[in-house]
Amino acid sequence: MITVTIDGKKPPLTYPKLKTVLQLLHNLNLRVNDALIIRDGELLTPDRHLWPGDEITVRRVVSRG
Amino acid sequence: MKCKRCGELAAVKLPSHHAGFCPTCFEVFFKRQVETAIRRHAMIKPGEKVLVAVSGGKDSLALMRVLSDLGHDVDGLHVHLGIPDSSDPVCERTESYCRENGFRLHVLRTAEVGLAIPEVKDSVHRPICAVCGKIKRHYFNRFAYENGYTALATGHNLDDEVARLFANTLRWDAKYLGTQGPTLPGEGRFVRKIKPLYRVTEFETAAYCFLKAINHWKAACPYSGGASFTGHKKLFADLEDRSPGQKTAFYEAFLAQGRPQFAGASRGEGQDTLYACTQCGFPSSGEVCGVCRVRELVAKRKGEVL
Repeated sequence: MITVTIDGKKPPLTYPKLKTVLQLLHNLNLRVNDALIIRDGELLTPDRHLWPGDEITVRRVVSRG
Repeated sequence: MKCKRCGELAAVKLPSHHAGFCPTCFEVFFKRQVETAIRRHAMIKPGEKVLVAVSGGKDSLALMRVLSDLGHDVDGLHVHLGIPDSSDPVCERTESYCRENGFRLHVLRTAEVGLAIPEVKDSVHRPICAVCGKIKRHYFNRFAYENGYTALATGHNLDDEVARLFANTLRWDAKYLGTQGPTLPGEGRFVRKIKPLYRVTEFETAAYCFLKAINHWKAACPYSGGASFTGHKKLFADLEDRSPGQKTAFYEAFLAQGRPQFAGASRGEGQDTLYACTQCGFPSSGEVCGVCRVRELVAKRKGEVL
């Protein structure tokens, strides 16, 4: 299971099957440069693999005023 | 994905540059983009002290950091808007960041000059974002002028500039199209306005903040719902997703080929002349400037006499 927290909102989303960051972005209807994807304090590019047990933070970047 | 410069594992993918960068090389890339912007548009003179408009968000804090890292002498000005549950924590976070990083920060409280934004919101019949923007621009410029700064830097990035250009183009607003750009020269009581981040996107600024551990304010302004520029940004994000590089191409081509066509465009007969506001002395298109008029409306609503 992969846990995904978006902009600090709780509860986090969980995904049983996600292979890559790009799949996650597609699932969240986000474009490649719409959000920072963070795992263990590291930024991930869309081609990076995700693994069961990963805790991912999604931080959208569009300023809203 | 490998870093385009050093071949290490990339942390940031930038389709518009056909590149990926590791954290170290991304910082080099980011600083070079800002250096190029400053050099090409004669933004900062050697030894000049720059006032940075600091909201506490990612763009303004990244701007303080990168200008300082590039060797420029920067101070910050934060305008506290007096919005409950928002302005105090934003101001505290900004002060904390500047204190920890050795930046001098000035704080101007709009409530102390009769312009607390919640009261302004209740006193005007226009979108509050437009009025708030006018008040902030007035005080950023005024503070810079009255305190001897000749350059005022704002954190507008490529997405902001493209959204604004798109809005001006939708209206074919010749006057604004003739003056929009990364540097607005100083004149009279207007100090020079510069946008050193105009070559980097919001994504790049956010990545820079993350990699530099800049703890910026992330929540939206409670009054900002429905701002039109956000919609324009979404349109351009779709375009950029299909054709990476379109935002830069649109904006740079405008600077090179579009803007000169509108240079010197008039706002309309009798509307280009600026006068000194009879209340604050700063440039105004009428006898009293827009900010002083708003202050009068707030005072009137509260039953005060100015």
